Amino acid sequence: MQAEGMGRISRRLRTAIAVASVLFVIALAISPVKDLLREWKRYKRGYVSFAETRPDTKRLLADYHPDIDQIWIPELGVVDRCTTCHQGITQNSLLDASVPQPFRAHPPIPHRIREWGCAVCHRGQGAATEVAEAHETTLAWEQPLLPIRFIQASCGACHRGDLPETPQLNRGRQLLATLNCAGCHRLQGIARGEMLGPDLTSIGMKASRQWIYKWLKEPRTVTDSDGNVKVNGYDSEGTPPRMPQFRLTEPELQALSAYLSTLRGNAVQPFHVDPRVVAAWSKRPDLVAQGEVRFRQMFCSTCHSFAVTRAGETKLIGGDIGPELTKVGSKVNPDWLAAWLKDPQSYLPHSKMPRYQWTDEDLYKVTQYIAAKLNDSDLLTNVPQLAAPTQTEIQMGRRMFVDKGCASCHVVQGIAPQRDLGPDLSAEGGKDLSQLEFGQSKIPRNLIAYIQAKITDPATVNPSARMPLYRLSPADLDALTTALLSMTGAPAASGMQKLIVPRTEGSFHPAGEFGRVFDRYKCSECHQFNGVGGTLAPDLSYEGSRAQRQWLISFLKNPQTLRPTLVLRMPQFNMSDQEAVILADYLGVGLQSPQVDPSRVDPKGLTPEKAALGKQLYEVKYQCQSCHTIGSSGGYVGPNLSNAGNWLTPAWVMAWLRNPQALVPGTIEPRRSLTEDEIQALTAYLVTLRQTGKSPTNASVANGISSRAGSESGGQR
Amino acid sequence: MKSRLVLLPLLFVAIVLGGACNRKSSTVAKDPQRNAFDSEPDWNDAQRVVLLNYQEAQGKRIFYAQCVWCHADATPAGPSNRSNLKPIPALMNDGAVLNAESDDYLQNIITLGGSAVSKSAMMPPYGQTLTQEEIRQLIAYTRAIAQPPYQPPARAGSKYTAK
Repeated sequence: MQAEGMGRISRRLRTAIAVASVLFVIALAISPVKDLLREWKRYKRGYVSFAETRPDTKRLLADYHPDIDQIWIPELGVVDRCTTCHQGITQNSLLDASVPQPFRAHPPIPHRIREWGCAVCHRGQGAATEVAEAHETTLAWEQPLLPIRFIQASCGACHRGDLPETPQLNRGRQLLATLNCAGCHRLQGIARGEMLGPDLTSIGMKASRQWIYKWLKEPRTVTDSDGNVKVNGYDSEGTPPRMPQFRLTEPELQALSAYLSTLRGNAVQPFHVDPRVVAAWSKRPDLVAQGEVRFRQMFCSTCHSFAVTRAGETKLIGGDIGPELTKVGSKVNPDWLAAWLKDPQSYLPHSKMPRYQWTDEDLYKVTQYIAAKLNDSDLLTNVPQLAAPTQTEIQMGRRMFVDKGCASCHVVQGIAPQRDLGPDLSAEGGKDLSQLEFGQSKIPRNLIAYIQAKITDPATVNPSARMPLYRLSPADLDALTTALLSMTGAPAASGMQKLIVPRTEGSFHPAGEFGRVFDRYKCSECHQFNGVGGTLAPDLSYEGSRAQRQWLISFLKNPQTLRPTLVLRMPQFNMSDQEAVILADYLGVGLQSPQVDPSRVDPKGLTPEKAALGKQLYEVKYQCQSCHTIGSSGGYVGPNLSNAGNWLTPAWVMAWLRNPQALVPGTIEPRRSLTEDEIQALTAYLVTLRQTGKSPTNASVANGISSRAGSESGGQR
Repeated sequence: MKSRLVLLPLLFVAIVLGGACNRKSSTVAKDPQRNAFDSEPDWNDAQRVVLLNYQEAQGKRIFYAQCVWCHADATPAGPSNRSNLKPIPALMNDGAVLNAESDDYLQNIITLGGSAVSKSAMMPPYGQTLTQEEIRQLIAYTRAIAQPPYQPPARAGSKYTAK
């Protein structure tokens, strides 16, 4: 019985032990099996079999090893294991799009991957060894991969200045600046300007309460049937109106318009046109037509845009330095307009508008034209009847001016400018998901969706947001998002801090007589001087080496004869002889290139025989006429050379032919391998090209193309 | 009883293996626009958008700075110089002409100019203005926008195709 019992127990025991041993063996096997099946090992094996199908198997597998590969750069805080799976990343032969991921090579970039790691630019979790953990947001890691669409943000994290390789980032930064985002937000690398929107201290003298009401409700005067306008004249890109749309209720509109219409802080001296001029012109039937001619001759459209409707599509055509003017006649008070045109800075001291030299006749014609043609009698039809502002409305409007954030961009004397009304965005691009408030919104839970929702419709994320509405094209929205993503705050690793490449700021502060004329005509709104100024027109940093004094003077006096076919071109300032001489003298002496040395040019070397040879080189060997026009034939890419002998200095021509990019970085004329003899001959030929009389006809579309090319590619001619 | 005891370890093995294999990467829905560095509308069909990778996007930038004036019918400044020239330069997306030329040939003509390959001297040499890498980027862009589309020369014996 006992033995039997014992036997039975021992059999049971034996079974149990057998089961336990099997379990034990299995448990022991778990770890190696799991290890064998690791995701990264699959990719390791996959790469080997992939490499075997390629013709250069040997090279692809030369430094293959079956373990985890890691880029470790302690000073940058980089521990990136991405190359464990992305094994072909430095193999040139795997660059092709037909190579499957994760084996494709990285496109050639200015940085070496082994020296920087991957997550520095691409984000994600560098140390992870599983695809999901490395690429996506997990509980323990909140930074997912940055979509390639926004990858330029990573360039901007270190490169605080604009790079030619990152057009989207540059555009985004430009938008942040022009849309006055810094008025309410702190931004990395974009300082708050001294004056953002116009000073409204005397707005009541300029516009009526009705107009202000309309503008606050819908700050654009030109709309098509969809309530939109395509802001793209000849430019492929347009700038949205700087004034955004605020969500204001009816009483708020009433109160703000009441308050603003009572602002008459600085009395503007009314300007009265000579009564004799009025008497002579007011009855003439061609008054308005003559005004339009003058208006066009002065090239107001270089800075201001106007709506043009063609084939049912409304477009704005013209520049974006000043406000759009299609219906300005319905906005401004005629007395104010004349005083403004005569001296813009007496109304707005910070205005970018040049102080033109007007004759009374011109001023009268142009103001009459603006009042008669640039207006829209239907503009204010939807505005309710507004009585004289009451004291309560004015009080409420004044309070709202501060509460709604108007005082962040606009100055009114006696009201302190308001800063930091919106959240600090200087580290927005590096924020973790847990730092973002999504509220009840239905947008995807990631930083990019959050930023884009905040820009397009702030109320989706925060119903009580004060932020106004901006209407941006999808490309501009992505550009703005890229720029915000680049603002990642102070880097975590000290090594990164040292790598930041700051924006280089030029400096050009002319004083004295030249400074006065320079400031009067606002030269640097369009031209660059030593890295300061606009990019619309050619860089004049070395103009003194390029142009001859006499040519400069006559050009400044009458710029339009040189560039008649351009849409955006130098306005006719009507400057005096004396002012033109002051400018030309300063440019000639002060703005010289160290690369251009007139003393190295031997005028005796520029013989007629040389010139004849140069003509041959120009027309046959190098066929310069494909881009340059002389007389009536040739291309429109480079400047018209018909008057080169009067315009350019021989020293400049020679230096230019040796290496154009040395004089104007980024200029589009390619550098050629010319011999010194050829350079001499070409120069000898070009200096013989002179136009007599005062009509250099059909001048350069060319100049236009190249100057616009400059503005496209970041500012150089 | 006995059968249950045998089942238990089997179940256990199943769980362990299942757990080990189940860690497949979860694939996020990929938006092709989001994974392109830049894009360009097809020149012949504005509705179709060509997605560009880094290299092609850099080529696009160089194209719009240097080449657009003669190799396109519309330029950022309005008029094009193309119709002004004889022989008329090829449009940069003209696959009927450019697809037949090898990358090496294009690299040569851009670097050395038209006269170096017995073509019109109106095409200037860019070898001292652009780097070889920039010219490669330019060619990659040309290939990306080509109409009819460019087919790279076939590479022998790859069973892999792009995902």
